[in-house]
Amino acid sequence: MNSLLNMFGGGKGNIMMQAFGAMMRGESPKTFMQGLAKNHPQLQGMNFDNLQSAAQDVCNKNGVDMNQKMNEIQSQFPKMP
Amino acid sequence: MGESSGMGSEWIFAFLIIAVIFGGFGGGFGGNNAAMAGFATMADVNASNAAQTSQLNQQSILLSSERNNYETARVVTQQTESLMNQNNTNLINAIQGFNNIGQQIMNQTNVLGSKLDQLGFNMEQCCCSIKTLIKDNQIAELTNQLNNANNIAVNSAQSQYLLGQMGKWVANASATA
Repeated sequence: MNSLLNMFGGGKGNIMMQAFGAMMRGESPKTFMQGLAKNHPQLQGMNFDNLQSAAQDVCNKNGVDMNQKMNEIQSQFPKMP
Repeated sequence: MGESSGMGSEWIFAFLIIAVIFGGFGGGFGGNNAAMAGFATMADVNASNAAQTSQLNQQSILLSSERNNYETARVVTQQTESLMNQNNTNLINAIQGFNNIGQQIMNQTNVLGSKLDQLGFNMEQCCCSIKTLIKDNQIAELTNQLNNANNIAVNSAQSQYLLGQMGKWVANASATA
């Protein structure tokens, strides 16, 4: 597991890698997104108390099918122990 | 649905937000799908695991090689020392052999010298005998010649006497006739 975390940058570098590292470390997605919003204006103003609702809003604003995108994400993620 | 569990949790919404907003951000894991840029696929994970396995194998090979090198160096050193000791032993044996041969040569030289001395003595004796024999022969020859000369002289004297007597007889023959 440590090697896998290292592979994803251990929370450094690419945002997706940072998120993955935070998830692997057992951090809260809400806390992570709130921290991320401090440095990224694109995320500021969003309410991360309900991540599903926030995700739905983002998809609606960007013309993305949320269910299809979720399937894509889940299909491309490795199964974690 | 816990906040800190796997992809069944709300983390998937967080990833979805990130993928939609930062899609194509950074590249790397996730293949060619711009919206999925940054995600690691199973192929990525397998490739990483394969790379790590390869690195571990290489480290293992390097360690093994290093151990082999140390072992080789140790064996070479040990064998070199053994050869050096053997060479020293061989040299000592060779020197002792040369000393023995030298001693044997000296002994044989002494024997040869004694034989030469004996031969010289024998030759001297032989020479002396030959000289004596020659002298004896010469003396015998001279004695023989002297006897012959003496005989000749005696014969000559007798002849002269006879001739003298015959002369007398001849001179007085007419008177007696």
